[in-house]
Order: sequence, then structure tokens, then C-alpha cells
Amino acid sequence: MKNLIIVIAFTFMLGGCAEQKILENISLTTLVGYELEDEGDLTSIAVIRQVNQDLESRVEIQSATAATSKWARTKIDLKTSKITGSGQLRVALFGENLAKEGLDHNLHILKMSAEISNATYLAIVEGDIKELLEYQYKNITDIGQHIYQLIQQNIEHHHALSSTLHEVNRDKYSLVKSYALPVIKKEEENIVISGMALFKDSKVVGQISADDTMFIMMIRERTHNGTLQLELPESTLDGITENPFDELAVAIDSIDSKPVLRLVDPSVPEFDLTIKMECRLREINTDIIVDDPETIKKLEKEINHKIESEIKQIIKYSQDVNSDIFNFGERFRARVRNVIVDKEKWYELYPQMKVNVKVESQIVRDGVFQ
Amino acid sequence: MKNKLQIGTNEMFNAPLLFYIICASQVGVGVHGFQAVIYQNAKHDAWISIIISFLAAYLSVFMSLKLLKMYETEDIFGVNLDLFGKYIGNFINLLLVIYSSLAFFAIIRNYTDVINAWVFPELKPSFIMITLMILVLYAFTAGLRTIIGICFFSFFLGLWIPVALIIPLNYANVNYLLPVFSADLVELLKGAYYMTFTVAGFEVIHTLYPFIKEKEKAKKYVSLGLFFTMFLYLFVMIVTLTFFSGEQLERTIWATLSLFSNIRLPFLERIELITVCFWMIVILPNLCLYAWSAFRGMKRIANISEMKFILGMFSLIFIGSFFIETRSEIYEFNNKFGYTAFIIVLIYPMVLYLIAYIKKSVSRQRAGKE
Repeated sequence: MKNLIIVIAFTFMLGGCAEQKILENISLTTLVGYELEDEGDLTSIAVIRQVNQDLESRVEIQSATAATSKWARTKIDLKTSKITGSGQLRVALFGENLAKEGLDHNLHILKMSAEISNATYLAIVEGDIKELLEYQYKNITDIGQHIYQLIQQNIEHHHALSSTLHEVNRDKYSLVKSYALPVIKKEEENIVISGMALFKDSKVVGQISADDTMFIMMIRERTHNGTLQLELPESTLDGITENPFDELAVAIDSIDSKPVLRLVDPSVPEFDLTIKMECRLREINTDIIVDDPETIKKLEKEINHKIESEIKQIIKYSQDVNSDIFNFGERFRARVRNVIVDKEKWYELYPQMKVNVKVESQIVRDGVFQ
Repeated sequence: MKNKLQIGTNEMFNAPLLFYIICASQVGVGVHGFQAVIYQNAKHDAWISIIISFLAAYLSVFMSLKLLKMYETEDIFGVNLDLFGKYIGNFINLLLVIYSSLAFFAIIRNYTDVINAWVFPELKPSFIMITLMILVLYAFTAGLRTIIGICFFSFFLGLWIPVALIIPLNYANVNYLLPVFSADLVELLKGAYYMTFTVAGFEVIHTLYPFIKEKEKAKKYVSLGLFFTMFLYLFVMIVTLTFFSGEQLERTIWATLSLFSNIRLPFLERIELITVCFWMIVILPNLCLYAWSAFRGMKRIANISEMKFILGMFSLIFIGSFFIETRSEIYEFNNKFGYTAFIIVLIYPMVLYLIAYIKKSVSRQRAGKE
């Protein structure tokens, strides 16, 4: 029995030697950018954070070009004093050339690694990716952290579609094989999210501006926040102000919106989409007095029309580029029986799809001062 | 009949502990990656395959308990000796001992593979196996009551796992489950067949039966245990089905672990490192119970001391691990073992019950005539 205890004690002591990864000896890669070079080689640009003995961290940017991303990482190791570890990877950026060629391969290698978290954000860079990452910004010290927080807080507030590695990978293997990634670009001293890029079959096929992101979210799922700016035409809002105007600009906050989808005709296919929305009025022209229920009804009606037309436009655009980012394909397959709906079939059916959009909005509150 | 079992009351355990034993013995390494294999056959109706598999398990347990009740205080080895005589009975007992050893090997080899893939890629598998075997040796020499205590603690310590899996429900997409019942019966049955490797474990009741104090209550607690495990597996499967899209799930080897890698705590970036290491506590009761069953069988065949047997068994398993090293070899082994488990766990008890029933009614007729 005593021998057994000695053996177990030895085992415990040796167990500490299993694979050491000490924080002060590792460079943490917080952001990686990939771009395709001319011969098909991949350039990896890594934003690395190193922690020294006094627990101060320092950020540096390294890049290397190789045929595989792992070899590029080895080349980066040849340049850094501490070996790179990718467990902290928060954002992966893809350059324009790579987006046009296809992201399939890169997504696969990100998924294969057990170290890379499923919650890594993916985004496309408009313009030169090296310039965006290596520029010395006046107000940005840690570009990896900055881009991560930029994307994260915009996704939380519904200004960008959530593009974690898991969701993109899931949509890539699903029936529709289409997804949308945020596009970021450098504007002088700032990094800006300029819109969403639509993908089909892992290649970029179109782009939507950042203004329309909220509409896409309203079609896809329940939302609990998000701001919309709508320019309502004057004609039907006749008589609610003294001064005439061409367009009335209002800003509304959606408190709660819910899409209800019904399959009306499977052969076309035709859907009835009803979006019920509760919102509050953030900004409106000072001439309009909104305590009159008639005014509110007129405003609601106009808001409904405006949102409906915007949504119809966005759906039509996605049908033109044949990129079903709203997941209509899955919703169609879930509602039909004994019909083989696969990727090829949906590519044919999607451009013919009809959606009858109806928005029912309700202005719940309108500020503290009228 | 000669060679009957004599068990003192101080070696017996209370029937309610059967609930913890069944739960602990069923939940093992199968939980990590059972979803992909079942999905390949039953597609998104895989959860129905789980229900079918558990119905078959319940039927098998029902028959086993009725069979063992006929013999009062015998375990399955005694039943074999009674029904088939000394030589064939001992041969079948030897086969059951080999099955228990193979089950032990399957669990320990699969767990080592998971550790190598997710946590420590460069750690030698033999090191992990020796560590686990020393632990099992300690529990084994301490006796049945210690093993049951381990089952009890393993059950309660593992209760946080289903709670943690509520977090991936944020990404749940119910459309992946619809339309229900689109797989036909053959596909559902095939899926249920592939579930055998995961559902097996309750066959330890065959060797534990003589040690139960209140044998008439055994059925109640075993059923409760099976019920609980079924709900656990259903929950994991439904979370998996709504989280991953179809083809993505087919490519995900360890779906449960991939689910865990989406959970991010403020102080812990990736919890699946902790989960995988914690799994050692989950598989420890399985290993102990199989080692103990194998020893009980071996003792009936030839009177052999505890230490000699366990060291012999461990040496054979250790040598066997050198033949099953790569991922594809483990996959092959799992398939073949699943086939063996299907026969021994589901079919064998029913056949045995039929033979015993026939023998009993024949001897009753003969006694009635005399």
C-alpha cells in the first residue's frame, strides 16, 4: 500500500511537466489578417500582445507570407522573441482579394484548430489590409483590441450582423450557404464599419450599406434594440405641420420587433412576412405635436410603408445577387414535407421567391418633452 | 446448483443507490461525440433514435431483472453455468469477461484520444492510461462499496454539465429540427443502433444484482436511472441539433466539446479545457465498474486473487493500446465494439431470458408429472 502511494505521488509530480505555456514566454495573437498574394500564397498579419515580467503588455504587428497559415506563423516565430499562441484570437480579418477568391479554405483551417475559439469575429477589409493594420493611429494604441471592441459593440447594438466563426461556419454548411460579414475600412485616423458584404458559396457577391443592417436583423429574428432613421414623404402626412416640407426625417428606436413568417404557396415559393414592432420616437421635427392620436396613427402608417419598401428593396437586392442571408431557405425546408430541397434547388428557387411584407409598428413612447 | 454465490449482508448495498450507479455507468465517453454518427443516419430526427434506443435498453433491463429474479441471488455468470453447464457456461463467462475488458479499453482509449486532440497534443497516451489505471487500481482494491461511493459523487459533481449547455441555446435555430418525422423507420433504427455504444453501461446490473439489499425495488430505481440518462442525452442532442447546421454537424467529431468551446466566462476564456479534464471524474465509475465485473466473472471461472487479475488485465490493455494508436484505428475499434456491445447488451439478455423461461417451464412440467 505504501508503495502505491509513492507511485501515485510520483505521477502527480511528473504531471506538472505536461505541456507548459507560461504567459511571460508567449506572444498572444489577438487579431490576425489574411490576404491573398499573387502566386496563391497567403500573407498573415498578426497583432501580437506580449506580457513582460512586470505584467505590462506591449503590442506589435508582425507579418509573413507562406503557402499555409501555419508556416506563416512559424516564419513570424522566427522574428519574435516569444513564441506565438493563438488561444486569445478574437478577430480574423480577410482582405479583398481573398474575399473575391473564396473563404472556404481559410474558414476550414480556423475551425480545424482546437485552440481557436468559436466566438472569434470575422470581417472583411476594404482597401489594403496591411495599411489598415500597420498604420500608426493617433488615438489607437492596441489595434487588435480596438477592432475587436468596435465589432463587438456594434453587433450588440444591431449596427452590424453577428459574424462569429461559429455562425459563419454554420451558415456555410447549411442549405443556403450564404452569410454576411462586416466590412471595415480605414478613414484617415479612424477605422469604420462601412457596411456588410454578402457572400454566396464563400465568395463575395455584393455589399449593403450599414444603414440597412437593422432591416436585415428585423427580418431574421427578434430584436430588442436598434435605431432606424426614416425619411417619410410629405404627401400623406398632410396637415400635421404648419410649414410644408418634402421629407420628414424621424429617428426611431426599436424596443421589440418580431418577424412572423408564413408559407403561402410552396410552388413559387411565396411567403407572408409580418413584422410587429414596438418602437419609441427619438427624434422628430419640432413643429409636430405628437400628443394627438391621429398624428401618431399617421406617423405609424408612414413608418410602416417606409420600412416595408426598404425591406422589399433589400430582399430584392439579395435575390439579384442570389445570396440568401435571411435564411429563407431553411425556413422553407422546415415547412414542406416530401420535397427534396437542397442547395442547387434553392439557388434556382430563391430569385423567384415572393415575399409579401407587412409591418405593424406601434409608437409606445416619444421622449420627455413635446 | 453447485457453485452458488454466498454474499453476506455487510457486503450488500441499498437499492436506491442503483439510480446513481446506472446514471454514472451510462454517462461516459460516448457523450462527447455521439451526435454526428446518429445524425448521419437519422438526420434531424436523431432525437427520436435516442428514444428508440432507450426503449430497447429498458426492455433488455426488464428481461435481465426478471431472469435474475428467477435465480434469487445469482449474477449472470451463475445463470450461464446453470443453463449451459460447466464447460460452455464457463466459455460464455470468459467471453463476458473479455467484453468487460474491451469496454474498459474502449473508454480509456477514447478519453486519451480526446485529451490529445483538445488539451495536450504532445502528451503520450500511455502516460494518461497509466495514471487512470493506478486510480482504478486503488478504487478496485477498496471494494464494491467504495466503487458505489464513486458513482454517487460522480453523479453530483457532474450535474453542472447540462446547466452549462443552456448557454449555446442562444444560437438555437428551431428550423433545424423541422419537419419532424421526415426520416423513415429504417433510418431511425440505424441511428438507434449507432447509439448503442453510448447507451451501454447499464449491463453492470448483471453482476451487481446479488449485492442489492431490496431486490424487489431494483426495477424501480434502474428505470429511474435510465429515464434520467435518457433526458440528459435528449437535451444534449436537441441543443446540438439546433446549434449546428446539417453538414456542419456531420463534420464535427466531438460535438459536445465544440458546444462547450462557445462558452466564455469573464475569468476563463475556454471552459472545455476544464470540462475535458473534469471528465476523468465522469469516466472513473465506468472504469471501476467494468474492472470489477470482469473480476467477478474471472473468479467464477478460476479462483484467482484480486491483484493478480487486475494487474494481468491492465498489462493486456496497455499492450493493446500500442495496436490502436491513430484516430482511424480508434474509429474502427469503436465500430466493432459497438457491434459487440449491441449483441451483449441488448440481444443476449433477451435470448438468455427465453432459454431460462423454457427450462423453468419444462422442469415445472416434469415436477408436476412426478
